Amino acid sequence: MRPPYIHIASLLIAAVGLTLIVFIYSTQPKNLTEIAAKSSVAIGTYTIDKKEFENGIAAFRRDEFETARAAFDRSDPEKRDAAVQFYIAYSFYRQGWGRVSNDNDLFTKGLAATEQVIKLDPNYRSTDAELVMRTPIELKAELEDGLKITVSDFNPLKLTRERK
Amino acid sequence: MTEKEAERSTELAEGDSRRIEAVMLKERMSETELRYAIRVYLILPLIFLLVTLFGGMRFSATDHSFLFLPPPLMCLIFGAVTVFLIFRARLIEFDRWFNEASPILENAANAGVVFLLFAASVQVYNLLLPEQGLASWIVTALFIWTLWNDIFADFDQKKLLRSLAGLFAIAFVTKYLVLANLAVKNETSWLQRIIENPGKEAATWFLDLPVYSPATGYLQFFTILLFLFGLFLTPKAARKGDLSS
Repeated sequence: MRPPYIHIASLLIAAVGLTLIVFIYSTQPKNLTEIAAKSSVAIGTYTIDKKEFENGIAAFRRDEFETARAAFDRSDPEKRDAAVQFYIAYSFYRQGWGRVSNDNDLFTKGLAATEQVIKLDPNYRSTDAELVMRTPIELKAELEDGLKITVSDFNPLKLTRERK
Repeated sequence: MTEKEAERSTELAEGDSRRIEAVMLKERMSETELRYAIRVYLILPLIFLLVTLFGGMRFSATDHSFLFLPPPLMCLIFGAVTVFLIFRARLIEFDRWFNEASPILENAANAGVVFLLFAASVQVYNLLLPEQGLASWIVTALFIWTLWNDIFADFDQKKLLRSLAGLFAIAFVTKYLVLANLAVKNETSWLQRIIENPGKEAATWFLDLPVYSPATGYLQFFTILLFLFGLFLTPKAARKGDLSS
């Protein structure tokens, strides 16, 4: 073997190794699965787990929102998919909605999840016919409205409103 | 062409091919040179990369998940001083690693190995220094004191290796045996911890010690051993021929 080949191999090992280490330290994966997920995001091959997503939607329709969110989290651990994040935000809205008063903690979490959807895809529009609000903008407005205390909150007719 | 001319031409052609073969053989490495080059250019980078990766790695005490702590600025300074000491003690001879007479590619590969040695040194200090609190300040001050003295000490390769091994051993024992045992794991309530073990609770609070899973200590022990093994394998000269001369 000629010396230049070994020198090139050494430089390649150093470059690839250091890149990998910088990547790991900057992304802070918590386990080996996360290392694989974050690597797939970095190289552009990341996809959601469709089966878990379907499970999440099924639980969402049964109003089992915590189970649904757990399934959505397993489906999209890197929070990179607008559709999954939209369902997570929507689940916070539905769980936190109350005829008399809303759960502010859940609405705040829902708002954060909606911001994530807008960041991922500002023009996202859900194709789910069962959802009343189809865009993150509508959902965000509803959540923000729910967090505010206004004169209309004391309107007795408010008790007749329905969850969206 | 006469018969004599044809013979002469064949002789010349044979002579040329022998010369070309000799040049090719000269360019190729012997078995010993190849093994030496593999040690310097492949095994050492891999060892130092592993040390760089594991040096900042910890395991969470609660769920054993990975934590990757980047090195503080102080570790970069300690790493630079360590590389300076390595050159000064002639564990690596500068002229035999970086030479104008050598090809650029060879010098670049040598620089890569030395840079990885620096990165590994930085991470070794990262794993040895307590992450925060009073203990971090005390151990950092002791490291500064020791390394500052080392800069002016008369070293050879063996003395340097012994000195670094001793320094790392005492720092490891301090952090992963003494301080780690003083820190309380946060599994029980604050009141319960105060009642059951007030001394430990007070030490944790006073020294502001982070708590990690015991697996961290095992990983860091082998990381230090790997670094010292890497230093042991590092030759004075990057080329086998330079070493024998």
